[in-house]
Amino acid sequence: MGDERRQFDEIFLPHLDAAYNLARWIVQNDQDAQDVVQEAYIRAFKGFHGFRGGNGRAWLLTIVRNAAYTWFNKRLSDQKWVPYVEEKHAEIISIDQSATENRMEKQKEDLRGALERLPPEFREVIILYEIEGLSYKELALSLGVPLGTVMSRLSRARQRLREEFAQVKTRRAANGL
Amino acid sequence: MDCDEVSRFLDAYLDGELDGTARPEVQKHLDSCPDCRKEADRIAGFSSLVRETLPMYKAPAELKAKIRASLREASVPESHWLFRLRRPLMYAAAILVLGFGLASAFRTYAPNRNQELISQAIANHACSLMVDHLVDVTSSDRHIVRPWFNGKLDYSPPVADLAQEGYTLVGGRIDMLDKRPVAAIVYRRGSQVINVFVWPVVNGKIDFDVQSDRGYHFCGWNQAGLNYFCISAATAEDIEKFEDEFRDHVNL
Repeated sequence: MGDERRQFDEIFLPHLDAAYNLARWIVQNDQDAQDVVQEAYIRAFKGFHGFRGGNGRAWLLTIVRNAAYTWFNKRLSDQKWVPYVEEKHAEIISIDQSATENRMEKQKEDLRGALERLPPEFREVIILYEIEGLSYKELALSLGVPLGTVMSRLSRARQRLREEFAQVKTRRAANGL
Repeated sequence: MDCDEVSRFLDAYLDGELDGTARPEVQKHLDSCPDCRKEADRIAGFSSLVRETLPMYKAPAELKAKIRASLREASVPESHWLFRLRRPLMYAAAILVLGFGLASAFRTYAPNRNQELISQAIANHACSLMVDHLVDVTSSDRHIVRPWFNGKLDYSPPVADLAQEGYTLVGGRIDMLDKRPVAAIVYRRGSQVINVFVWPVVNGKIDFDVQSDRGYHFCGWNQAGLNYFCISAATAEDIEKFEDEFRDHVNL
Protein backbone atom coordinates (compact mmCIF):
# COMPACT_ATOMS: atom_id res chain seq x y z
CA MET A 1 0.00 0.00 0.00
CA GLY A 2 1.41 3.40 -0.92
CA ASP A 3 2.04 6.12 1.60
CA GLU A 4 -0.62 8.34 0.10
CA ARG A 5 -3.26 5.66 0.34
CA ARG A 6 -2.28 4.95 3.94
CA GLN A 7 -2.51 8.60 4.96
CA PHE A 8 -5.79 8.90 3.17
CA ASP A 9 -7.21 5.88 4.98
CA GLU A 10 -6.08 7.16 8.34
CA ILE A 11 -7.62 10.58 7.84
CA PHE A 12 -10.86 9.70 6.10
CA LEU A 13 -12.00 6.18 6.91
CA PRO A 14 -12.89 7.14 10.51
CA HIS A 15 -15.48 9.54 9.06
CA LEU A 16 -17.31 6.84 7.15
CA ASP A 17 -20.37 6.90 9.41
CA ALA A 18 -20.68 10.67 9.14
CA ALA A 19 -20.31 10.47 5.36
CA TYR A 20 -22.94 7.77 5.10
CA ASN A 21 -25.34 9.56 7.45
CA LEU A 22 -25.16 12.73 5.36
CA ALA A 23 -25.59 10.88 2.06
CA ARG A 24 -28.43 8.84 3.50
CA TRP A 25 -30.26 11.95 4.58
CA ILE A 26 -29.79 13.66 1.25
CA VAL A 27 -30.65 10.81 -1.12
CA GLN A 28 -33.04 9.05 1.26
CA ASN A 29 -32.26 5.43 0.59
CA ASP A 30 -29.55 2.99 1.55
CA GLN A 31 -28.35 1.69 -1.81
CA ASP A 32 -27.98 5.10 -3.42
CA ALA A 33 -26.38 6.49 -0.27
CA GLN A 34 -23.77 3.71 -0.43
CA ASP A 35 -23.07 4.46 -4.08
CA VAL A 36 -22.76 8.17 -3.32
CA VAL A 37 -20.35 7.58 -0.44
CA GLN A 38 -18.25 5.20 -2.49
CA GLU A 39 -18.08 7.72 -5.31
CA ALA A 40 -17.21 10.45 -2.82
CA TYR A 41 -14.29 8.48 -1.37
CA ILE A 42 -12.87 7.91 -4.84
CA ARG A 43 -13.25 11.61 -5.65
CA ALA A 44 -11.65 12.50 -2.34
CA PHE A 45 -8.74 10.17 -3.00
CA LYS A 46 -8.18 11.59 -6.46
CA GLY A 47 -8.25 15.11 -5.05
CA PHE A 48 -6.24 14.20 -1.97
CA HIS A 49 -3.21 16.24 -3.03
CA GLY A 50 -5.51 19.28 -2.92
CA PHE A 51 -6.29 18.64 0.74
CA ARG A 52 -4.35 21.15 2.81
CA GLY A 53 -4.90 19.61 6.20
CA GLY A 54 -7.41 21.15 8.58
CA ASN A 55 -10.84 19.72 9.08
CA GLY A 56 -10.79 16.44 7.15
CA ARG A 57 -14.33 15.67 8.16
CA ALA A 58 -15.68 18.92 6.72
CA TRP A 59 -13.61 18.41 3.57
CA LEU A 60 -14.94 14.89 3.08
CA LEU A 61 -18.54 15.89 3.83
CA THR A 62 -18.33 18.59 1.18
CA ILE A 63 -17.34 15.97 -1.36
CA VAL A 64 -20.09 13.64 -0.19
CA ARG A 65 -22.57 16.43 -0.59
CA ASN A 66 -21.40 17.23 -4.10
CA ALA A 67 -21.50 13.57 -5.05
CA ALA A 68 -25.05 13.38 -3.70
CA TYR A 69 -26.11 16.28 -5.89
CA THR A 70 -24.48 14.74 -8.93
CA TRP A 71 -26.59 11.71 -8.16
CA PHE A 72 -29.69 13.91 -7.77
CA ASN A 73 -29.17 15.59 -11.10
CA LYS A 74 -28.64 12.28 -12.82
CA ARG A 75 -31.78 10.99 -11.22
CA LEU A 76 -33.71 14.04 -12.38
CA SER A 77 -32.44 13.76 -15.94
CA ASP A 78 -33.27 10.05 -15.95
CA GLN A 79 -36.83 11.05 -15.08
CA LYS A 80 -37.02 8.15 -12.68
CA TRP A 81 -37.11 10.48 -9.74
CA VAL A 82 -40.39 10.19 -7.86
CA PRO A 83 -41.50 13.56 -6.56
CA TYR A 84 -42.54 13.95 -3.00
CA VAL A 85 -46.03 12.58 -2.41
CA GLU A 86 -47.88 13.66 0.69
CA GLU A 87 -50.03 10.56 1.00
CA LYS A 88 -47.22 8.10 0.67
CA HIS A 89 -45.17 9.79 3.36
CA ALA A 90 -48.10 10.09 5.69
CA GLU A 91 -48.68 6.39 5.32
CA ILE A 92 -45.11 5.47 6.13
CA ILE A 93 -45.21 7.59 9.22
CA SER A 94 -48.37 6.00 10.54
CA ILE A 95 -46.92 2.51 9.97
CA ASP A 96 -43.79 3.44 11.85
CA GLN A 97 -45.84 4.87 14.65
CA SER A 98 -47.56 1.62 15.45
CA ALA A 99 -44.18 -0.03 15.87
CA THR A 100 -42.80 2.54 18.26
CA GLU A 101 -43.56 2.30 21.90
CA ASN A 102 -42.22 4.89 24.24
CA ARG A 103 -42.29 8.63 23.99
CA MET A 104 -38.64 9.01 23.08
CA GLU A 105 -38.98 6.58 20.19
CA LYS A 106 -42.07 8.39 18.97
CA GLN A 107 -40.25 11.68 19.10
CA LYS A 108 -37.40 10.18 17.15
CA GLU A 109 -39.77 8.91 14.50
CA ASP A 110 -41.61 12.23 14.35
CA LEU A 111 -38.37 14.08 13.92
CA ARG A 112 -37.21 11.70 11.24
CA GLY A 113 -40.52 12.09 9.45
CA ALA A 114 -40.37 15.85 9.73
CA LEU A 115 -36.82 16.08 8.40
CA GLU A 116 -37.68 13.77 5.51
CA ARG A 117 -40.31 16.27 4.43
CA LEU A 118 -37.89 19.15 4.09
CA PRO A 119 -36.25 19.92 0.77
CA PRO A 120 -32.69 18.58 0.48
CA GLU A 121 -30.99 21.96 0.92
CA PHE A 122 -32.65 22.26 4.32
CA ARG A 123 -32.00 18.66 5.28
CA GLU A 124 -28.31 18.92 4.57
CA VAL A 125 -27.82 22.15 6.49
CA ILE A 126 -29.52 20.61 9.53
CA ILE A 127 -27.29 17.52 9.38
CA LEU A 128 -24.11 19.48 8.76
CA TYR A 129 -24.73 21.96 11.53
CA GLU A 130 -26.67 20.15 14.24
CA ILE A 131 -25.17 16.69 13.84
CA GLU A 132 -21.73 17.23 12.33
CA GLY A 133 -21.09 20.49 14.16
CA LEU A 134 -19.61 22.40 11.23
CA SER A 135 -19.16 26.10 11.93
CA TYR A 136 -20.95 28.72 9.84
CA LYS A 137 -17.70 29.39 8.02
CA GLU A 138 -17.22 25.72 7.23
CA LEU A 139 -20.84 25.53 6.11
CA ALA A 140 -20.28 28.45 3.75
CA LEU A 141 -17.29 26.65 2.20
CA SER A 142 -19.06 23.35 2.10
CA LEU A 143 -22.27 24.64 0.54
CA GLY A 144 -20.48 27.17 -1.64
CA VAL A 145 -22.63 30.08 -0.50
CA PRO A 146 -21.92 33.36 1.34
CA LEU A 147 -22.05 33.49 5.12
CA GLY A 148 -25.27 35.52 5.04
CA THR A 149 -26.96 32.73 3.09
CA VAL A 150 -25.78 30.16 5.62
CA MET A 151 -27.38 32.23 8.38
CA SER A 152 -30.72 32.57 6.68
CA ARG A 153 -30.81 29.04 5.32
CA LEU A 154 -30.10 27.43 8.67
CA SER A 155 -32.65 29.69 10.32
CA ARG A 156 -35.31 28.82 7.76
CA ALA A 157 -34.44 25.14 7.87
CA ARG A 158 -34.92 25.04 11.62
CA GLN A 159 -38.17 26.90 11.40
CA ARG A 160 -39.52 24.60 8.69
CA LEU A 161 -38.40 21.56 10.64
CA ARG A 162 -40.17 22.82 13.73
CA GLU A 163 -43.36 23.37 11.75
CA GLU A 164 -43.21 19.94 10.12
CA PHE A 165 -42.46 18.38 13.48
CA ALA A 166 -45.54 20.04 14.99
CA GLN A 167 -47.66 18.85 12.05
CA VAL A 168 -46.45 15.28 12.30
CA LYS A 169 -47.25 15.30 16.00
CA THR A 170 -50.70 16.75 15.39
CA ARG A 171 -51.40 14.12 12.77
CA ARG A 172 -50.39 11.41 15.17
CA ALA A 173 -52.65 12.85 17.86
CA ALA A 174 -55.52 12.94 15.36
CA ASN A 175 -54.90 9.26 14.57
CA GLY A 176 -55.11 8.57 18.26
CA LEU A 177 -51.67 7.00 18.43
CA MET B 1 -33.24 46.75 16.12
CA ASP B 2 -36.88 45.77 15.98
CA CYS B 3 -38.34 42.27 16.34
CA ASP B 4 -38.21 41.59 12.58
CA GLU B 5 -34.55 42.42 12.33
CA VAL B 6 -33.71 40.48 15.47
CA SER B 7 -35.48 37.40 14.15
CA ARG B 8 -33.11 37.38 11.18
CA PHE B 9 -30.09 37.25 13.48
CA LEU B 10 -31.51 35.16 16.28
CA ASP B 11 -30.25 31.75 15.14
CA ALA B 12 -26.75 33.03 14.52
CA TYR B 13 -26.82 34.83 17.85
CA LEU B 14 -27.82 31.67 19.71
CA ASP B 15 -25.23 29.63 17.82
CA GLY B 16 -22.53 32.05 18.96
CA GLU B 17 -21.84 32.91 15.32
CA LEU B 18 -22.85 36.55 15.44
CA ASP B 19 -20.01 39.03 15.68
CA GLY B 20 -19.48 42.74 15.47
CA THR B 21 -22.02 45.33 16.36
CA ALA B 22 -25.04 43.10 15.75
CA ARG B 23 -24.37 40.94 18.79
CA PRO B 24 -24.83 43.60 21.52
CA GLU B 25 -27.82 44.98 19.67
CA VAL B 26 -29.61 41.62 19.64
CA GLN B 27 -28.69 41.19 23.28
CA LYS B 28 -30.13 44.60 24.11
CA HIS B 29 -33.36 43.84 22.29
CA LEU B 30 -33.76 40.45 24.00
CA ASP B 31 -33.35 42.08 27.40
CA SER B 32 -36.36 44.23 26.75
CA CYS B 33 -38.61 41.98 24.59
CA PRO B 34 -40.29 38.97 26.22
CA ASP B 35 -41.72 37.75 22.87
CA CYS B 36 -38.33 37.50 21.24
CA ARG B 37 -36.92 35.89 24.39
CA LYS B 38 -39.60 33.26 24.16
CA GLU B 39 -38.79 32.66 20.50
CA ALA B 40 -35.09 32.38 21.37
CA ASP B 41 -35.89 29.73 23.97
CA ARG B 42 -37.96 27.83 21.42
CA ILE B 43 -35.16 27.88 18.86
CA ALA B 44 -32.54 26.79 21.37
CA GLY B 45 -34.80 24.09 22.82
CA PHE B 46 -35.66 22.68 19.43
CA SER B 47 -32.05 22.74 18.34
CA SER B 48 -31.00 20.63 21.29
CA LEU B 49 -33.94 18.29 20.73
CA VAL B 50 -32.68 17.75 17.18
CA ARG B 51 -29.15 17.07 18.36
CA GLU B 52 -30.26 14.62 20.99
CA THR B 53 -32.95 12.70 19.17
CA LEU B 54 -32.35 12.84 15.45
CA PRO B 55 -31.56 9.29 14.37
CA MET B 56 -28.16 8.79 12.77
CA TYR B 57 -27.62 6.28 10.04
CA LYS B 58 -24.63 4.02 10.55
CA ALA B 59 -22.67 2.94 7.51
CA PRO B 60 -23.40 -0.70 6.66
CA ALA B 61 -20.44 -3.01 7.30
CA GLU B 62 -20.04 -3.97 3.66
CA LEU B 63 -19.59 -0.33 2.62
CA LYS B 64 -16.10 -0.09 4.10
CA ALA B 65 -14.97 -3.15 2.19
CA LYS B 66 -16.48 -1.77 -1.01
CA ILE B 67 -14.71 1.55 -0.55
CA ARG B 68 -11.42 -0.19 0.18
CA ALA B 69 -11.76 -2.24 -2.98
CA SER B 70 -12.44 0.80 -5.13
CA LEU B 71 -9.61 2.76 -3.48
CA ARG B 72 -7.26 -0.11 -4.25
CA GLU B 73 -8.32 0.12 -7.85
CA ALA B 74 -7.98 3.90 -7.88
CA SER B 75 -4.53 3.85 -6.31
CA VAL B 76 -3.05 1.55 -8.93
CA PRO B 77 -0.87 3.98 -10.85
CA GLU B 78 -2.82 3.53 -14.07
CA SER B 79 -3.55 5.52 -17.19
CA HIS B 80 -3.74 8.68 -15.10
CA TRP B 81 -0.07 9.57 -15.29
CA LEU B 82 0.78 7.35 -18.20
CA PHE B 83 -1.76 9.33 -20.11
CA ARG B 84 -0.04 12.60 -19.38
CA LEU B 85 3.32 11.20 -20.28
CA ARG B 86 2.06 9.98 -23.59
CA ARG B 87 1.39 13.42 -24.97
CA PRO B 88 4.78 15.04 -25.22
CA LEU B 89 7.02 12.34 -26.61
CA MET B 90 10.10 14.23 -25.63
CA TYR B 91 9.13 14.24 -22.01
CA ALA B 92 8.45 10.56 -22.26
CA ALA B 93 11.94 9.92 -23.53
CA ALA B 94 13.47 12.14 -20.89
CA ILE B 95 11.50 10.49 -18.15
CA LEU B 96 12.46 7.07 -19.40
CA VAL B 97 16.10 7.97 -19.08
CA LEU B 98 15.50 9.47 -15.68
CA GLY B 99 13.49 6.40 -14.76
CA PHE B 100 16.40 4.10 -15.54
CA GLY B 101 18.66 6.32 -13.52
CA LEU B 102 16.33 6.26 -10.55
CA ALA B 103 15.74 2.55 -10.83
CA SER B 104 19.43 1.76 -10.73
CA ALA B 105 19.96 4.21 -7.88
CA PHE B 106 17.09 2.59 -6.01
CA ARG B 107 18.55 -0.82 -6.69
CA THR B 108 21.91 0.21 -5.30
CA TYR B 109 20.69 1.86 -2.15
CA ALA B 110 17.32 0.87 -0.88
CA PRO B 111 16.52 -2.77 -1.19
CA ASN B 112 19.72 -4.43 -0.03
CA ARG B 113 18.36 -4.72 3.44
CA ASN B 114 14.89 -5.42 2.11
CA GLN B 115 16.21 -8.20 -0.12
CA GLU B 116 17.94 -9.86 2.77
CA LEU B 117 14.86 -9.42 4.90
CA ILE B 118 12.57 -10.79 2.23
CA SER B 119 14.72 -13.88 1.65
CA GLN B 120 14.81 -14.52 5.36
CA ALA B 121 11.06 -14.01 5.72
CA ILE B 122 10.34 -16.34 2.80
CA ALA B 123 12.57 -18.96 4.35
CA ASN B 124 10.80 -18.54 7.68
CA HIS B 125 7.41 -18.78 6.07
CA ALA B 126 8.32 -21.86 4.02
CA CYS B 127 9.94 -23.45 7.01
CA SER B 128 6.90 -22.86 9.19
CA LEU B 129 4.83 -24.78 6.66
CA MET B 130 7.17 -27.67 6.00
CA VAL B 131 8.39 -28.59 9.42
CA ASP B 132 5.73 -29.15 11.99
CA HIS B 133 6.48 -25.82 13.57
CA LEU B 134 3.75 -23.48 12.50
CA VAL B 135 3.03 -22.20 15.99
CA ASP B 136 4.45 -22.40 19.49
CA VAL B 137 1.19 -21.34 21.05
CA THR B 138 -2.03 -22.57 19.49
CA SER B 139 -5.08 -20.48 20.08
CA SER B 140 -7.67 -18.56 18.13
CA ASP B 141 -8.02 -16.21 21.09
CA ARG B 142 -5.84 -13.12 20.81
CA HIS B 143 -6.02 -12.69 24.57
CA ILE B 144 -4.05 -15.91 24.86
CA VAL B 145 -1.68 -15.36 21.94
CA ARG B 146 -0.63 -11.84 22.86
CA PRO B 147 0.32 -12.49 26.51
CA TRP B 148 2.23 -15.59 25.38
CA PHE B 149 4.81 -13.28 23.77
CA ASN B 150 5.37 -11.42 27.02
CA GLY B 151 8.68 -12.30 28.55
CA LYS B 152 9.86 -13.89 25.32
CA LEU B 153 10.22 -10.57 23.52
CA ASP B 154 11.06 -7.06 24.69
CA TYR B 155 7.94 -5.63 23.04
CA SER B 156 4.31 -6.56 22.85
CA PRO B 157 3.07 -7.28 19.33
CA PRO B 158 -0.56 -6.41 18.62
CA VAL B 159 -2.61 -9.49 17.75
CA ALA B 160 -5.68 -8.65 15.71
CA ASP B 161 -8.87 -10.65 15.85
CA LEU B 162 -9.88 -10.99 12.20
CA ALA B 163 -12.38 -13.82 12.55
CA GLN B 164 -15.17 -11.60 11.26
CA GLU B 165 -13.12 -10.81 8.19
CA GLY B 166 -12.63 -14.51 7.50
CA TYR B 167 -9.12 -15.03 8.90
CA THR B 168 -8.79 -17.57 11.68
CA LEU B 169 -6.08 -16.88 14.19
CA VAL B 170 -3.98 -20.06 14.44
CA GLY B 171 -1.46 -18.92 17.03
CA GLY B 172 2.00 -17.45 17.41
CA ARG B 173 5.65 -18.38 17.48
CA ILE B 174 9.06 -16.77 17.72
CA ASP B 175 11.24 -16.54 14.61
CA MET B 176 14.53 -14.90 13.71
CA LEU B 177 14.35 -11.99 11.28
CA ASP B 178 16.23 -8.74 10.73
CA LYS B 179 18.93 -10.15 13.03
CA ARG B 180 16.65 -10.49 16.03
CA PRO B 181 13.89 -12.62 17.48
CA VAL B 182 10.52 -11.47 16.18
CA ALA B 183 6.89 -12.36 16.79
CA ALA B 184 5.21 -14.42 14.09
CA ILE B 185 1.44 -14.31 14.20
CA VAL B 186 -0.25 -16.96 12.11
CA TYR B 187 -3.63 -16.77 10.43
CA ARG B 188 -5.41 -19.14 8.16
CA ARG B 189 -7.93 -18.45 5.46
CA GLY B 190 -9.20 -21.54 3.68
CA SER B 191 -6.13 -23.54 2.79
CA GLN B 192 -3.79 -20.53 2.90
CA VAL B 193 -1.54 -19.79 5.84
CA ILE B 194 -0.54 -16.19 6.44
CA ASN B 195 2.49 -15.34 8.58
CA VAL B 196 2.71 -11.84 10.01
CA PHE B 197 6.12 -10.93 11.42
CA VAL B 198 6.15 -8.05 13.87
CA TRP B 199 9.21 -6.37 15.35
CA PRO B 200 10.40 -2.92 16.47
CA VAL B 201 11.87 -0.60 13.86
CA VAL B 202 15.28 -0.33 15.59
CA ASN B 203 17.20 -1.49 12.50
CA GLY B 204 15.14 0.76 10.24
CA LYS B 205 11.59 0.98 9.00
CA ILE B 206 10.28 -1.19 6.22
CA ASP B 207 7.63 -0.11 3.76
CA PHE B 208 6.87 -1.69 0.42
CA ASP B 209 3.89 -2.66 -1.68
CA VAL B 210 2.95 -6.21 -2.46
CA GLN B 211 5.70 -8.09 -4.26
CA SER B 212 6.04 -11.66 -5.30
CA ASP B 213 8.91 -14.09 -5.18
CA ARG B 214 9.13 -17.88 -5.34
CA GLY B 215 5.37 -18.18 -5.50
CA TYR B 216 4.71 -16.10 -2.40
CA HIS B 217 3.20 -12.67 -2.08
CA PHE B 218 4.26 -10.35 0.67
CA CYS B 219 4.25 -6.74 1.76
CA GLY B 220 5.74 -4.72 4.56
CA TRP B 221 4.80 -1.60 6.42
CA ASN B 222 5.44 0.14 9.70
CA GLN B 223 3.02 1.50 12.18
CA ALA B 224 3.50 3.01 15.62
CA GLY B 225 7.16 2.00 15.93
CA LEU B 226 6.71 -1.59 14.74
CA ASN B 227 7.55 -3.20 11.42
CA TYR B 228 5.03 -5.58 9.92
CA PHE B 229 5.76 -8.10 7.23
CA CYS B 230 3.02 -10.37 6.00
CA ILE B 231 3.52 -13.26 3.61
CA SER B 232 1.43 -16.01 2.10
CA ALA B 233 0.97 -18.06 -1.02
CA ALA B 234 -2.37 -16.29 -1.50
CA THR B 235 -2.86 -13.83 -4.38
CA ALA B 236 -1.47 -10.29 -4.37
CA GLU B 237 -4.98 -8.97 -3.98
CA ASP B 238 -5.64 -11.19 -0.98
CA ILE B 239 -2.47 -9.97 0.69
CA GLU B 240 -3.44 -6.33 0.11
CA LYS B 241 -6.82 -7.01 1.57
CA PHE B 242 -5.29 -8.72 4.55
CA GLU B 243 -2.95 -5.76 5.09
CA ASP B 244 -5.93 -3.40 5.03
CA GLU B 245 -7.84 -5.43 7.58
CA PHE B 246 -4.87 -6.00 9.83
CA ARG B 247 -3.85 -2.33 9.81
CA ASP B 248 -7.39 -1.36 10.50
CA HIS B 249 -7.60 -3.57 13.56
CA VAL B 250 -4.25 -2.44 14.90
CA ASN B 251 -5.50 1.11 14.57
CA LEU B 252 -8.44 0.41 16.82
